Amino acid sequence: MKSSQRIKSIQSRIASSFVMLVLFTALLLIFISYRLSESAVRETAESYTSELINQVNANIQTYITGMKDISLATMNNPNVREYLASSEELQPAELAQLKAKISEYFHSIRVSRKDIASINIFGEGGTFISDRTNAELNPYIEVSEQPWYRQAQENKGQTVISSSHVQPVIKGEYRWVVSLSRELSGITPTQGLGILLIDLNFKVINDMLSKLDLGNRGYVFVIDSQGRIVYHPQQQLLYSNLKTERLEQVLQDKQGGFVVKEDGASRIYSIKDTDFGWKIVGVFYENELVDNKKQMQLSFAVAGLLCLGLGVLFSVVISRNLTRPIKKLQEKMMEVEKGNFDIRVPVGHSREISGLARSFNVMVSKVKELMRQIMVEQEFKRKSELNALQAQINPHFLYNTLDSIIWMAESKKHDEVILMTSALARLFRASLSKGKELIPIATEMEHITNYLKIQQMRYQDKIRYTLDMDPELYSYLTLKVLLQPLVENAIYHGIKNKEGPGTITITGAHEDHMIVFQVMDDGIGMDEAKVETLLTSSGGNQSRNSVGIANVHQRIQLYFGANYGLSYTSEPGAGTCVKLLIPAIHAEERREKEGDMP
Amino acid sequence: MKSYLSMRYIVMLLIPALIVGYAILQWSKDEPRPKKIIVGVKAVEEIEFWRVLIEGVNTASREFGVDVSVVGPPREIQVDLQIQMLQEAIKQQPDAIVMAAGDYNRLVPTVESIRKAGIPLIMIDSAVNGDYAQSLIATDNFNAGQKAAVELAERLPVNAKVAIVSFVQGTSTQIEREQGVRSILEQREGTEIVGTYYSEGMEERAYEITMELLRERPDLDGIVGLNEPSTVGAGRAIGEQGLVGKVKLVGFDSSIKEVKLLEEGVLQSTIVQKPFSIGYLGIKTAVSLIEGDKVSPNVYTDSVIINKDNMYTEENQKLLFPFVEE
Repeated sequence: MKSSQRIKSIQSRIASSFVMLVLFTALLLIFISYRLSESAVRETAESYTSELINQVNANIQTYITGMKDISLATMNNPNVREYLASSEELQPAELAQLKAKISEYFHSIRVSRKDIASINIFGEGGTFISDRTNAELNPYIEVSEQPWYRQAQENKGQTVISSSHVQPVIKGEYRWVVSLSRELSGITPTQGLGILLIDLNFKVINDMLSKLDLGNRGYVFVIDSQGRIVYHPQQQLLYSNLKTERLEQVLQDKQGGFVVKEDGASRIYSIKDTDFGWKIVGVFYENELVDNKKQMQLSFAVAGLLCLGLGVLFSVVISRNLTRPIKKLQEKMMEVEKGNFDIRVPVGHSREISGLARSFNVMVSKVKELMRQIMVEQEFKRKSELNALQAQINPHFLYNTLDSIIWMAESKKHDEVILMTSALARLFRASLSKGKELIPIATEMEHITNYLKIQQMRYQDKIRYTLDMDPELYSYLTLKVLLQPLVENAIYHGIKNKEGPGTITITGAHEDHMIVFQVMDDGIGMDEAKVETLLTSSGGNQSRNSVGIANVHQRIQLYFGANYGLSYTSEPGAGTCVKLLIPAIHAEERREKEGDMP
Repeated sequence: MKSYLSMRYIVMLLIPALIVGYAILQWSKDEPRPKKIIVGVKAVEEIEFWRVLIEGVNTASREFGVDVSVVGPPREIQVDLQIQMLQEAIKQQPDAIVMAAGDYNRLVPTVESIRKAGIPLIMIDSAVNGDYAQSLIATDNFNAGQKAAVELAERLPVNAKVAIVSFVQGTSTQIEREQGVRSILEQREGTEIVGTYYSEGMEERAYEITMELLRERPDLDGIVGLNEPSTVGAGRAIGEQGLVGKVKLVGFDSSIKEVKLLEEGVLQSTIVQKPFSIGYLGIKTAVSLIEGDKVSPNVYTDSVIINKDNMYTEENQKLLFPFVEE
């Protein structure tokens, strides 16, 4: 037998179904909610990153705008204008005074702005004004050859923003700066008078960018419009060719970013353009976006396992609770099976189980009642059979008959002896009927005929009888020895006490699937009270004969049901008529049925 | 029936158990304990070279997600302290040790005990006498020495006398650089190497040595300084003696002092290594080794010749001025 075909206990079925249900719903829910939270976290991270880049952009813009503002303010400063316009006409003392004023002005700006490293003017004639009065030019550096200087000249008054670089022009200083340079012009715009140099301390940008958190491997870099690196945390690796950066792709990009898939990890480049040509690029690794991914997975797994554990526990408990009353019922049933019918199942709480228990209780009590009934009936049956047997071989009848035979033999009435003896013999043979309960009516007729013959011979002309039986009935069946007690009763209680001869009439007819026998006599009859006690009496101080009648009635009812049996009608002085009803059972049909059911 | 039932319960328990097991497997696969790597450097305070190298180490540790701690004596000459520190490091049972040997011979027992403890070993910058490390990542010092010698030779007169100011005697970098320098200069017609002098990696000592040398050998035409303090010390002496341009100086490494010497014309050229790359590759190689990949036994990082003309190019700025400072 396959295991799937085995009988499963309800408990395990319920439990396993629940577990499966819990398992799948929990897994599904966890999967979905994990996905949702992951994407939510990812979106947050992405918008955070983008916000971060925007912030960086805004900050850098602020610094550059600040420098531009300073450059504008400087150009509009009257001292500067005067100095530039008329430096050749002024006396050295006045010039020195003007320079000091301008230097003072620069100094005040620089002090107020932490991000500004220095502000200088390099005049055409080699003059130099710095925000610090003691600053000296680096003698080994040619200022006019510096890229910021040349570009400012080329751009004729437009501001030029350099990439990050080391500024070596001041003696003893090598600072990383971003330079804003711009040519200053006098009254005639075509004639350049000098270059204004404002250096932004690169440390402010460097610090801001290096502190950004874009995951373990994410970073931000900045390039200028020519693709030169302004800031890159791995600049040294790039120059050593240990790493490459997608500078070309960033320069050409118009979408605001792209995704690079490399070594199984995808990097997201998020690009922001500044209005002075720099590009700020945030690079972050997709798998780092959700930085507490592991923790999230762990908490989801823990929650899921908890759910599962609880689910399993509940399933077991629930299934046990559900099946416990059933198990109890089953235990009780087992006891009933063993034969203990004095059992009451407590009625439980749930409707189904209590209904079941109630029905079970009713059923058990019914069974018990039926059992008792069967036992009574069986006992009665045994008793009635004994009675029937006794009726067949009534010792008095036998004794009287034999006495008559002896008497006839003494009188040498051989013919009568032969007649009576053969009638007695046939009577017994008919009553034996191979031990069968049901016999053909023909046999019963033979029985009663022989009985009547014997009685007629004993009582001489006192008894007359007529048998009016439809021969069609002969092949139907009847219980054996039904008629003899009735006839006996008719003789002993009807005719025997009557003066003169009496007649017994026995008829048989087929009516509506029933067979009706009638035994009528014209004896002394009975009163109504007597008639009523006739069928219910069961021994006691009643005469043996009336026991026989009650026995016949009960045997019929036992065999064929309460619809059948005897009914008496009697009138004192006129006679008694007893009607006997049995179902019409044909001997052939009966045999066929028995043949069907071996 | 009984066994069938228990079978069912086992299956019921087995499913969550399998899920848990799978999850644990996934986690352990995805997130192993960060590997611990100890980096032993020759000095942590003295020289910019080591600061930049440590910067490279930190960049790599961040990128590869490893736990790195850097140990090293304050000054290069403190070899005993370095040995002691490395012995301490072995006791911590790191997943790998990345180290630069302060001495070519004295570090041999330390390196042996690292290997004996079963710890993967990567040597950076300076090796030891013997084949102990799984990989050596360093500047090709012999080649760098040759570059320095070529730079100097171009500027020397036909018959020239040259001195070598070295640093700590016995380290492999010093030995190889000197060999490189000698391999070129000894081939040069009429060139005499008057000797190798040891500054012990200290500028002051290099200055004193050079002062004495210049007094004793007024006919000296060129000096090779084999590391940064040696070069700066020698440069100071040349400057103070008013021999700028007369005694040619070619040095190693970079610092603000060297930049000034370059601008002043005292220092003709300097051979700049790439310490950032060495530090970065040291960690990268160690990570590969821990993960069981094959690593190349020798990785040479290149060196760059820097002189007055190319010192402010975009690429060289970052080498000469590695840090953004106020």
